[in-house]
Amino acid sequence: MNEFPGEAPTIAIDAMQPGDSGVIARVDAEPAIVRRLMELGLVPGTELQHVRVAPLGDPIEVSIRGVHLSLRRSEASRIHVTPC
Amino acid sequence: MSRPADGGPTLKAAPLKLATSTPAAGHASAPRVVAILGNPNAGKSTLFNQLTGLRQKVGNYPGVTVEKKTGSVTLPSGRRAEVIDLPGSYSLQPTSPDETIVRDVLLGLQTDTPPPDLIVFVVDVMHLTRHLYLMMQLIELGRPIVLALNMMDTARARGVTVDIEQLERDLGVPVVAISAAKGEGLGNLRRMIERDVEPSARRFRRWPVHLERVLGSLEKRLPRHSALPERARHDLALALLLDDGEDDMLARHSPPDVLDDARILAKRLDQLSPGWRSDDVAGHYEAIHDIVARAVTSGTPRPDKLQDRIDRVLTHRVFGPILFAVLMGAVFQSVFAWAQPAMDLIDKAINLSGGFIGGLLPDGPVRSLVVNGIIAGVGTTLTFVPQIAILFFFIGVLEESGYMARAAFIMDRLMGRVGLSGRAFIPLLSSFACAIPGIMATRTIDNRRDRITTIMVAPFMSCSARLPVYALLIGAFIPNIWVGFLTLPGITLFAMYALGVIAAIAVAAVLKRTVLAGGKPLYVMELPPYRMPQWGSVFLSVRERSVVFVQQAGTVILAVSIVLWFLASYPRGGADAAHVEQQLAAATASHDVAGAHQLERELAGVRLENSFAGRVGRFLEPAIRPLGFDWRIGIGLVTSLAAREVMVSTMATVYHMGDADAHSSSLREQLRDTLDPRTGKHTCTPLVAVSLMVFYVLACQCMSTVAVVRRETNSWRWPIFMIVFMNAMAWGASFVVFQGGRLLGFS
Repeated sequence: MNEFPGEAPTIAIDAMQPGDSGVIARVDAEPAIVRRLMELGLVPGTELQHVRVAPLGDPIEVSIRGVHLSLRRSEASRIHVTPC
Repeated sequence: MSRPADGGPTLKAAPLKLATSTPAAGHASAPRVVAILGNPNAGKSTLFNQLTGLRQKVGNYPGVTVEKKTGSVTLPSGRRAEVIDLPGSYSLQPTSPDETIVRDVLLGLQTDTPPPDLIVFVVDVMHLTRHLYLMMQLIELGRPIVLALNMMDTARARGVTVDIEQLERDLGVPVVAISAAKGEGLGNLRRMIERDVEPSARRFRRWPVHLERVLGSLEKRLPRHSALPERARHDLALALLLDDGEDDMLARHSPPDVLDDARILAKRLDQLSPGWRSDDVAGHYEAIHDIVARAVTSGTPRPDKLQDRIDRVLTHRVFGPILFAVLMGAVFQSVFAWAQPAMDLIDKAINLSGGFIGGLLPDGPVRSLVVNGIIAGVGTTLTFVPQIAILFFFIGVLEESGYMARAAFIMDRLMGRVGLSGRAFIPLLSSFACAIPGIMATRTIDNRRDRITTIMVAPFMSCSARLPVYALLIGAFIPNIWVGFLTLPGITLFAMYALGVIAAIAVAAVLKRTVLAGGKPLYVMELPPYRMPQWGSVFLSVRERSVVFVQQAGTVILAVSIVLWFLASYPRGGADAAHVEQQLAAATASHDVAGAHQLERELAGVRLENSFAGRVGRFLEPAIRPLGFDWRIGIGLVTSLAAREVMVSTMATVYHMGDADAHSSSLREQLRDTLDPRTGKHTCTPLVAVSLMVFYVLACQCMSTVAVVRRETNSWRWPIFMIVFMNAMAWGASFVVFQGGRLLGFS
């Protein structure tokens, strides 16, 4: 589950295209924010799908285990996935 | 349940002050207090409404803005149990005032609300994994829990089956399948509530070793207490460890040395194991995965294509905002215009009953108090109800259907620029009709700082009560000149609305950087599946909002209107009034109807001038002179505290015009033509009118708004702050307009 150097490259989810999927590799943010994002189900190792972008370009919608979440780009840029 | 021995030798520090739970009267007794709990969007409130029906009460948890909803449920044996609807939460480690309340109630820190005897935990069975996260935390608190698997009808339709017995075995708690919206399984749930549910003995959470060791050392030092099961102290210890110093409740209830040590331990963990603050979460999710994998079979799962298809249209780049604008237009129009007939009807009924009751009383101060003080105050309160009811009907439908989250999704970027959340849009829009329902609608904003910022700027939106004031002043002073394809009066009116919006944006930006700065709220929001609104729930929320407003804001509004009545009626006029009274008596005796009528108006004017309100108006004159306002306008500013549109009728009385309205040409002429006897100049000029309108845009005048802010923020601090900063802004802006205008040569 941990990411080691040399593993598959990761991208931040705000850089994904609608319809793209990936497995969450890591969440880089302040500890309290990381905890809350993980409590909401954004746990490393979980598959995540980028669903769409809001009409004004921010926030974005992602789906995880069938739950749809809206994330601002400032937060989405902290969550990295291994594309699949 | 025995209390700990007084002065127990093992306690060094001040003992934890914990609320004791209601002692059970006997082994097989039904629970007295049942809490309904779950993640947001689990269908918790629907279940609460189904169980309690109309037997609901709404109050506030002391000192915070969180609402406390309680009700009672009839159990199969006929006995009643109290039900608490706890706010929706994701975790026992809180990030919002709502979640803090839940934690405090469950850990027994909330002294006014004892821990419930039974928790009914509601989950959306389609999102079982995420919802079970909080469930795991609760189970380990060691309290009796029933798991209510909600939305079983949707699960069946999608081919998802749940092995309920397997789930019961794995979790160690009874599980009931329900569909709260359809009322399925509620009989089983009621029976389960009455049964003697034992707490689960299971432990699932996998704590990382380093954390387990630290938690163990901390919890040993927490005082023992009968209200908290042994295991709950793990969560209390974790809360102490994760606390960033902002948690007053924890600080108040924990021995100071333990608190200090927790800080030191947290710092050490930060160095040794940087990810420790979230290490346990992944482990808990692993445990949940195993349980869900054993209990849930998806058969041939049919994913929710409907949600995606609807969202493709409703959040489409072009159609999304268009549909949003149309919907908001409809909401605004209905609050602004459709409420009018009902408001007029209430107004008429109040006038009729005032006339009727007034007729029963002898002429004099008591009749005046009853008709012009009490009945008028009740009338003011009631005329807000149609707007509140209509707005909350729409909010109910938008929330229940799932569209509200999409509206926030669409507007988030725009509102984010001023530091607000997308959910601030509807409250601000509604405030153009009336700030009162608008402020009440901020309830949908979950971040406390964002919510208070929205409340603070909502009154800048020009409400419908300002319109008569604008209409009178524009009609009297702004010449009807065409400027391109617009007229000057139209442009002036638009400018007043625009000024309010600009002021709101500026103030929100300033507040978010100063008084309400701090914390980095996480703008993560769930976009729930679309559902048909539950009309029963919509009806209940409309009723609840209206009742809460009438009961809690209505009393303040009534008191204010009685005070204002007194100020405008006493003292009864002195020598000037006596003189006019004599003339009136003479005119009546000589059957001079027209003359008597004129003298009656004059008497009303003289009385108002000599009343306390009139004196305050005169007293205010030095303070408002730099804005171009004379004492007559000063009186209007005082009476506007009841409602801004009262300005118009006050002007009519002051200018001896009887009950003229904003469109009365004689009142407009009078405003234009009155000269100041001392200077021989006009008392009111176009420049004064603009200055006055700017004042009305920015000033905090409406005492009903203040009453609602007090109720919604649950403190006097914010309403007082609002009165001070808004009126300071209004004074400053009018000063700039009037003095600047004079310098530029306007009059």
